[in-house]
Amino acid sequence: MEFGTIEREIYVDASPEIVFEVVSSPDHVKQWWPDDAAYEVRPGSQGEIVFGDRDTDGTVVAFAVLEADPPRTFSFRWTHPADEDAGEGNSLLVTFDLTPKGGGTLLKMTETGFREMGWEAAVLEQQYHEHVTGWDFYLARIAPYVATLETRR
Amino acid sequence: MSLAVAEDVDDELWSAVGDPTRRRMLDLLLASGPGTATSLSDQLPVTRQAVAKHLQVLDHAGLVHGTTAGRERRYQVDEAQLARAVAQLASVGASWEARLQRIKRIAEAIQRDREV
Repeated sequence: MEFGTIEREIYVDASPEIVFEVVSSPDHVKQWWPDDAAYEVRPGSQGEIVFGDRDTDGTVVAFAVLEADPPRTFSFRWTHPADEDAGEGNSLLVTFDLTPKGGGTLLKMTETGFREMGWEAAVLEQQYHEHVTGWDFYLARIAPYVATLETRR
Repeated sequence: MSLAVAEDVDDELWSAVGDPTRRRMLDLLLASGPGTATSLSDQLPVTRQAVAKHLQVLDHAGLVHGTTAGRERRYQVDEAQLARAVAQLASVGASWEARLQRIKRIAEAIQRDREV
C-alpha cells in the first residue's frame, strides 16, 4: 500500500452505470459531498466545488477531472490553488474504481497525496502513544491506524 | 466535518513533519524526553546547526516548545498539537466513510426507481 493513502470500499446494490453517474456527475456529487459542484465529466475539465454559500463565507475549492471512463473509473484532483495546474504535491488525488459484483457494484475509493502534502503526521500520534520503534514501522500502518482511530470514536 | 481538507489543515504543520530528519527528531524527543540541538545532533547524522534549524521549523509549527536552559534551548514535544495533527487525518477517513454511505444510498434509490 502506498503511504499516505486512504482506501475505502463499499458494496452498492446498483449497477456500475448508476454508481458511475452518482460518483461523477456534479448534480449527484452535490448530494453526497459539497453544496455546489461545477465541472464537466471529461478528462481535463477544470472546475470547482463549493462548501457553504459561494457568495457569503463559503469555501471554493479547485477541482480537476483526470479520468472519466464510464462505468469503470472516475478520478479527480482537488485542493490545488485555483491558479495552478493540479498535480502531485499541490493536491489530493481521488480515484473511484467500479467493479461489477453480484447484481451490484463494488466501489473502491482511494485518496492519495497526503504524503506530498505532509500528512504523515498521523503516525506521530501512534509513536507518541506507544513510544516504541521509529517511523519506518508506523509509516506502513497508516491505513489500519486510521481505521482504529475511527472505531475508537 | 464535511468541509474541504484545504481549509482544515494547517499547511505549516504538515510541511514541518514532511521531513524525515524532523520526524526522527520528534521520535527522539518522544522517546527520551526534552532535548537540545546538541543532544539531538549527537544521535543523528546531521550537524548541530542543521538540527537547530529543524527545531526552529518544528517550533514554528507548534510541534515543539523551547525553553532556555543554560546556553542552549531545550525542546519538548507539544502533545496537543500532535493530537491535533492526528485528529485531522482521522477526520478525513471518517468523512469518506460518510460520503460513501451517501453514494450508496443515492445509487440504490436510483436503481430501485428504475426497477419499478
